[in-house]
Amino acid sequence: MAGMNRLPAPFGIWIDRTQRISFTFEGRQIEGFAGDNIASALLANGQTMISRSFKYHRPRSVLTMAGQDSNTLVQVGDEPNCLADKRRIEPGLKVEAQNYVGSFDDDKGRFTELVERFLPVGFYYKSFHEQKKSWRAWEPIIRAMAGLGKADLKADFHHSYYDKQYLFADVAVIGGGPAGMAAALSAADSGAEVILVDEGAEPGGSLNYARFNVDGTHGSLTCKELSVAIRTKRNIRVLSEAVCTGLFADNWLPVIQGNRLYKLRAKSVVVATGSIEQPAVFRNNDLPGIMFASAAQRLVRLYAVKPGNRAVILAANDDGYGAALEMLDAGIAVTAIVDLRVDVPMTEMAQAMRRAGVEIIAGHAIREAIAGPGKIRITGAIAAPIAGDGKLTDSGRSLECDLILMAVGYSPAAQLLHHAGTKFAYDTGSHMYRPDSLPAHVFAAGSVNQAYALDAALADGRRAGWLAARDAGHSGAAEPPAPTDLGSGGVTHPWPIFPHEKGMDFVDFDEDLKYKDLINGIADGFDNVELLKRYSTVGMGPSQGKHSAVAAVRIVARETGESLHRMSVTTQRPPYTPEKFGHMAGRVFEPERRTAMHHRHLELGAQMMPAGLWWRPAYYGPKSERDRAIREEVSAVRNNVGLIDVSTLGGLDVRGPDAAEFLNRMYTFAYAKQQIGRCRYVLMTDNAGVVTDDGVAVRFHDEHFYVTATTSGVDAVYRQMLWWNAQWRLDVDVANVTAAYAGVNIAGPKSREVLKRVCEGVDLSGQAFPYMGAAMAEVAGIPARIMRVGFVGELGYEVHVPASQGEALWDALMAAGGLESMRPFGVEAQRVLRLEKGHIIVSQDTDGLTSVWEADMAWAVAKTKPFFVGGRSAEIQAKKPLTRKLVGFTLANASDPCPEECHLVLKGEEIVGRVTSAVHSPSLNKVVGLAYVHPSDVEPGKQFDIKVDGGKRIKGLVTKYPFYDPDNKRQEM
Amino acid sequence: MASLTNLDPATLKRRSFIYRKLAAAGAEFAEVNGGAVAMRYSAPAEDEIATARRMALADLSVLPHCGVKGRGTVEWLTAQGLAIGADSNKTYVQANGELAARLAPTEIFLLDSLQGTGQLIGKLNAAWQWAPGAPRPQQGYPTPRQDSHAWFMVTGEKSPEMFAKICGVDLRPRQCPVGTIAQTSVAKMNAIIIRADLGSTLAYHLLADMASAEYLWTCVEDAIAEYDGGIVGLAALRTLQS
Amino acid sequence: MKVMNCPLNGPRNISEFAWGGEVKTMPDPSSLDDRAWGDWLFLENNEAGVVHEWWCHVPTSFWFIAERNTVTDEILKTYPAGELFKDRVNFAPKAEKK
Repeated sequence: MAGMNRLPAPFGIWIDRTQRISFTFEGRQIEGFAGDNIASALLANGQTMISRSFKYHRPRSVLTMAGQDSNTLVQVGDEPNCLADKRRIEPGLKVEAQNYVGSFDDDKGRFTELVERFLPVGFYYKSFHEQKKSWRAWEPIIRAMAGLGKADLKADFHHSYYDKQYLFADVAVIGGGPAGMAAALSAADSGAEVILVDEGAEPGGSLNYARFNVDGTHGSLTCKELSVAIRTKRNIRVLSEAVCTGLFADNWLPVIQGNRLYKLRAKSVVVATGSIEQPAVFRNNDLPGIMFASAAQRLVRLYAVKPGNRAVILAANDDGYGAALEMLDAGIAVTAIVDLRVDVPMTEMAQAMRRAGVEIIAGHAIREAIAGPGKIRITGAIAAPIAGDGKLTDSGRSLECDLILMAVGYSPAAQLLHHAGTKFAYDTGSHMYRPDSLPAHVFAAGSVNQAYALDAALADGRRAGWLAARDAGHSGAAEPPAPTDLGSGGVTHPWPIFPHEKGMDFVDFDEDLKYKDLINGIADGFDNVELLKRYSTVGMGPSQGKHSAVAAVRIVARETGESLHRMSVTTQRPPYTPEKFGHMAGRVFEPERRTAMHHRHLELGAQMMPAGLWWRPAYYGPKSERDRAIREEVSAVRNNVGLIDVSTLGGLDVRGPDAAEFLNRMYTFAYAKQQIGRCRYVLMTDNAGVVTDDGVAVRFHDEHFYVTATTSGVDAVYRQMLWWNAQWRLDVDVANVTAAYAGVNIAGPKSREVLKRVCEGVDLSGQAFPYMGAAMAEVAGIPARIMRVGFVGELGYEVHVPASQGEALWDALMAAGGLESMRPFGVEAQRVLRLEKGHIIVSQDTDGLTSVWEADMAWAVAKTKPFFVGGRSAEIQAKKPLTRKLVGFTLANASDPCPEECHLVLKGEEIVGRVTSAVHSPSLNKVVGLAYVHPSDVEPGKQFDIKVDGGKRIKGLVTKYPFYDPDNKRQEM
Repeated sequence: MASLTNLDPATLKRRSFIYRKLAAAGAEFAEVNGGAVAMRYSAPAEDEIATARRMALADLSVLPHCGVKGRGTVEWLTAQGLAIGADSNKTYVQANGELAARLAPTEIFLLDSLQGTGQLIGKLNAAWQWAPGAPRPQQGYPTPRQDSHAWFMVTGEKSPEMFAKICGVDLRPRQCPVGTIAQTSVAKMNAIIIRADLGSTLAYHLLADMASAEYLWTCVEDAIAEYDGGIVGLAALRTLQS
Repeated sequence: MKVMNCPLNGPRNISEFAWGGEVKTMPDPSSLDDRAWGDWLFLENNEAGVVHEWWCHVPTSFWFIAERNTVTDEILKTYPAGELFKDRVNFAPKAEKK
């Protein structure tokens, strides 16, 4: 029967008795049925204790049976903090209890309860605010004692397959209880596309388990009727076992179902999330066997599990009587109904109770539950007459029971409405906070909106669904009438709080907070509910105040004499239920860009490095021979010929009658008179005169410039260009053609010989194609843009071809370079080569404040232009004395270590600059670098201090650059 | 068109950035537009067609595609015989099945038909040149879309659901009629999606950064798996269209 | 996540857009003294209320202008930049300056 506490059919509408499933709890074999969750299977097998509480390690068990409390948090395999009353069982699941010392049954941690008085409210604040050092000693102990599950950091972690998916709807209905189902149907009738999100295995909500009439048929019949209607609607999609965790701007709804996070966007939303039962406060109100009446009904009806054998019902509404009837039907004896009300209305349910011979003890409350051995079950309850709000007379009656059901009231499950910015008002009639003014495109229906009677909930749902559909642009038939009698009166007791002089009367189960803790917190001066929350941590546990927020407000109101009308429950923030990192992460979408020659580099043994989103070869060869590879690549370029993939370089086609004027405005140099077929350096500054990018502009036509930009800067450059011209309205078109062109730079004294072999229709001789020359021609039969530019300071050509033919270009050039043993070279060698030439890299040798003057780039500024971006600021900067300047340097003492980027430049003890680039130059056999130094130290021959690793100071020697080939003869060969 | 006898894509100058992946999946290639296009894979033709109806991904990157943008674009293309409507983010079908996608008032992305003859695009490429003198007539400027954009096709009834995992725009048939363009973010990349059904089969062109072709291909392959999707060749797409 | 209506592409998730700062037309740089230029460059109004802002639809690099209430975070209106910037901007040659 898969458990000694299992009831026969028709109990258990969500389980499939034909499928048995075995799993383990604390190493013990447990058998359940398909459809069971961990908690229902455990209770069916008599395992009542499911967890140990946070602070006092008290035994805990099912409270809500709806995944709304932290009593059922368990470890499932390597996954901590799973809700046992949500997580379905699967064959072989390994479930462990959490937060115990020694063994779960004999938890040594439970003795903290004995030292309870040494753990006052505000413990952390009081203990560690003044003596921060003692935290270090206490931290490991506290962390070990007060914890939840364990993340095994030594385990072989892997990101399981989680993903995300967008969903779109006219109307999203959150909550599939009677109101939600009615709302979905009504919206669908109006023609709206509806998504109904429901936490249950099947929609129905309370219709699935609660008692709406004496014989218990009304709920299930209504549920069947609505379910059938929903199934026939093609424009309703139901997401079951799904939870909506937030309501964000423009109706953006995260919905978690299994390993998927849906991102649901709806034109309008109906929040029909129902309400959450609230506990009564009395001594030992937290122990296994004490649960909400709704939880017991869920256990019985949905899972066919008997929660106990003998029940006492603590009631303040008719639902408690319904629950009592349900227990009787399930063969559970009901010792008595202890009713907080003095005058119990003789409803049909109450009359049925009388007929069944169950004693109704009116005007009483439970003073305390009697704990059995180890507190893992209860053996009885003491009922006492209520003398006044929260006060009980000394007399009392002992009632035998192993189960106490609490049915003393509700609080709207209004979290999503809070997220949306709904205002709430305290309703004196219902003793609840009800939604007062709803934001646009958000509607509320059912008990979250105070419609408690079933007919009222259905009517309210129909009304909200109709309104939501209309809001989404679908007008149906006549507007359904609002319910006249909500039935919200008499379901919630205003003060179900009965503190006990011996304590253990919990207000917050998550955080083990007792009545006295809150009173002491208020006495400590935290007499505002938001302050008290942070000081006492009430409502800050995993269930986020679902069962404690209302009680906390009531207690603060009473203690301070403040009116409930002027207060509110603490702010409810997303998520409604805990979300996993896996859901946040989903699939990993991290775009990466590869050049046309990417695989050729891999075939050649390149070590790849990221450059923005791109991958580039760092050097070719095994990692163990990195330095040698770089040295040889440098040498190949200096003495022979090398080939580098420069496809990642940004490329922009700037075309139109105003192309030259546009470049004049965007860059510091002058372009109006640039000759066709020639390249010119470009340097960009922003409006504040800060250097932001550089490259070259190639003029291919009077109205066409091909402009390069840095790999990481091109997208921003492109965006800035479009932004400026959105204002200037010049007749120019800018196209970002970065991805469209693959490019190589063939460099070295023998580069001309190699290129000549595959280059048709263009004379590459020094006279016909000088340094900074450019042409369109065919290379290896591929249309190419050829530019004689060089970052590396040798004879060299940059060849840009359509990206789809980039690999073919590479193949052709590599074949052509075979005779000369041409060597591919990577970014590392290029960095050495360019530094030997003293070429700066924008964003490495410049930063977010660098001006053209600081970067020693005054030569690149055209001073007579009417305007360029940053020009006005540059003028102002020029008038002010510099505070630093970029210089080339070598080391005064050749035996000193090579400084690294960002090593500080000091003048005395003052930081005046930093090293931006430094490398040991194989060509010159010494360290060369660039650094910002004090303006008084910029003359060649001056020395300055560099603080290198370990705090050692070495001397930099200011040196004129280019360091290599200072007269630039080699690149002009 | 060459026969399907084990054409090695690396023997041609124009190469899809993912030809190695296609070859590894068992593609049989044919030469189109100076490049190798995957015509079919090892599965029987009817299975591939069934996959394409359900959920499939195809690479058309070597097929002719180009762009024109800037002032005068639409006027010039109209003068060249193209028919282009007034709305942006709509496509306009040309005489031989080419698609002129109007990305903006002055920007056209032109996709050849699945035959890939390149006739119209070849004609346009030959026709555009700098007019002499100044001021020149406004005629837009050619943009190298052939090389800036990988061209994938996503087909099958599950396409909208699949896209919903990598893209935030609602592409369901009713919300995204044939000819609609969505310029948006796909798997965190900028991309252009164009609804262009093949016969009665739901289908979308997916155009995105060539340099990220491998990344995007991998993302879509992952996303289609849930729907029993697969990769298909151009032959299956042509069959569906005819 | 908010939705913004792009004048070219229609309503999209705000994650498709990049903010480009408040619309503040650049004065003729040559007509301002250094301090006034600095003030224009660095001082923002930081208005509580309706502001005009530049926004860029990233997938299309399309710049447009949005009117947004910074108090309620409501986007009131979006339109192409051309509605505000209609004419070609010219700068006087330096020689003609004072």
